Amino acid sequence: MAEFKRFNAYHRILHVVMAVSFIGLVASGMPIKYSNAPWALWMTKLLGGYHGAALIHRICAVITFGYFIAHIGYVLYYIGIVKKFQFNVFGPESMVPWITDIMDIVNNFKWFLGMGPRPQHDQWTYWEKFDYWAVFWGVGMIGVSGLFLWFPEFFGRFLPGWAFNVATVIHSDEALLASGFIFTIHYFNTHLRPEKFPMDTVIFTGRLSLHELQHERPLEYQRLVAEKRLEEQETAPQASWKTDTGILFGFAIVLIGFFLLILIILGQFYY
Amino acid sequence: MIRALLLVLTSLTITTAAVAKEDCLSCHGQKGMRGYVDRATFEQSAHGRFDCIKCHLDVSGYPHAKVLKVNCGSCHFLGREGAPKEKAQEYKLSVHGRALAAGNTVAPNCQTCHGSHNIFRAGDSRSSTRRENIPSLCSKCHSKEFADYGTSIHGKEFIKMQNPGVPTCFDCHMEHRIPNVGDEQWMLSLITQCGNCHAEEMKTYRKTYHGKITRLGYANMAKCSDCHGSHTILPVADPDSTLSQRNIVATCRKCHPKATSGFTKFYAHAEESNREKYPIMFYTYIFMTTLLISVFAFFLTHTFLWAYRALKERMQKKGGE
Repeated sequence: MAEFKRFNAYHRILHVVMAVSFIGLVASGMPIKYSNAPWALWMTKLLGGYHGAALIHRICAVITFGYFIAHIGYVLYYIGIVKKFQFNVFGPESMVPWITDIMDIVNNFKWFLGMGPRPQHDQWTYWEKFDYWAVFWGVGMIGVSGLFLWFPEFFGRFLPGWAFNVATVIHSDEALLASGFIFTIHYFNTHLRPEKFPMDTVIFTGRLSLHELQHERPLEYQRLVAEKRLEEQETAPQASWKTDTGILFGFAIVLIGFFLLILIILGQFYY
Repeated sequence: MIRALLLVLTSLTITTAAVAKEDCLSCHGQKGMRGYVDRATFEQSAHGRFDCIKCHLDVSGYPHAKVLKVNCGSCHFLGREGAPKEKAQEYKLSVHGRALAAGNTVAPNCQTCHGSHNIFRAGDSRSSTRRENIPSLCSKCHSKEFADYGTSIHGKEFIKMQNPGVPTCFDCHMEHRIPNVGDEQWMLSLITQCGNCHAEEMKTYRKTYHGKITRLGYANMAKCSDCHGSHTILPVADPDSTLSQRNIVATCRKCHPKATSGFTKFYAHAEESNREKYPIMFYTYIFMTTLLISVFAFFLTHTFLWAYRALKERMQKKGGE
């Protein structure tokens, strides 16, 4: 059975790095945000005490800045070198939101409510684009506020001290938004939605089956057929051990995420 | 001559029978006598009803050898019914008790603080350990700390006796327990001690990074006294306070060596929900909360409707088969 390329090795590795560092950040940050919760003490101990948790948080923060910069580099490389500046920023291969996305949202809600057919998607759906841009917003907000809190003496040279209070609010609330979003909405939209339950393996295999391409991304399929590029997208299935490792990793991350989500919800009662 | 005769006579009687208080006081009740005991004070004291040998276990008659220091633990020991036993055990584990056990000859024992023949219940104004008398009692050894305490807002209020809740030495140093001043658990427990009166300040402190980390049990982080001082504590408005305009940079620099005056504009007791005091924090909080609620409201609706539609279609498919 032929399979079709969706994510290359860079995409897949980036996703794994993001997932691991994100879990590390949430696990080591939440005991501080919810220091009043009964689980905060043992969670801190589990991570090697306050100093261990702080170290994990900072290492994962550096990884986050690393993949963020790496991705910007990749986008420039992709548009400039791979596409030789012939990339249509508002086209179907782009992550940039466009009017079609607004229409897709409206039509999708109509479908939810039984008022119309299911809208047909191209390569990137609006919820995938949202996930993508949310990382920019999240890393920007949490990253900058986090740097303030990491190096207060340095930033205190040009910023008033209350900037650290504001940074704390942003860091803490954005962390809740990001982790709450990933562990519920992202998990559902990608892995737990009825067509894919319990997991969409595409991020681990990088490949779509013909059936998936035709049914989930019909506009992309039709476009590839019309542009006679379908064959160029064809690829051999991934070695099964790689797929198995990916799935195992995916399940571990999803379960850890749910576990952290429960702790966050509990923590909210003590906040 | 008469006195010598009397001594001989009494000694004859008390070698055979139990030694009664009167027997002892016949000598030691006389002013100028070595080991003089003021009868009136002793009899009104907490132990006034006991015979001397109840405590002076090494005396069994007359003449007696040099009397040894009384061991209060012979009654006030752990496990004895009715005795304030925890106190003795607490003392043993305290800096004082451990110093004494290690052979420090000036370390205080029970009598140093409680007295010997003039022990009164703590509520009695004559008691050396009555609340009002505590600072002067501790000052017998800790004169510098006492002088410092006198300059603090707590010490001043204490001397004026206008504020019965004001802390004295014991409130922080914990009576018999007196832990080492480097004891981290003790340092952390003092935060709640301050919070007993300064409840609002503790609540807002707990909302900051400093307060959250100390709550997780790590003492190497700003606690009340690290910023406000301890024995010399003053209101922030006082120019001599560690947190006055003049001193605050130096205070922050204890932990943040490169702190600037801008840095000190940090609110160590910030509360994002207080619009009057912290408007920028408040509006940031409102913005972030609005964002959070909007994103979740949209996507949770999206998710639930999606799940509903997908399940419905699946059921219809099954029904059609």
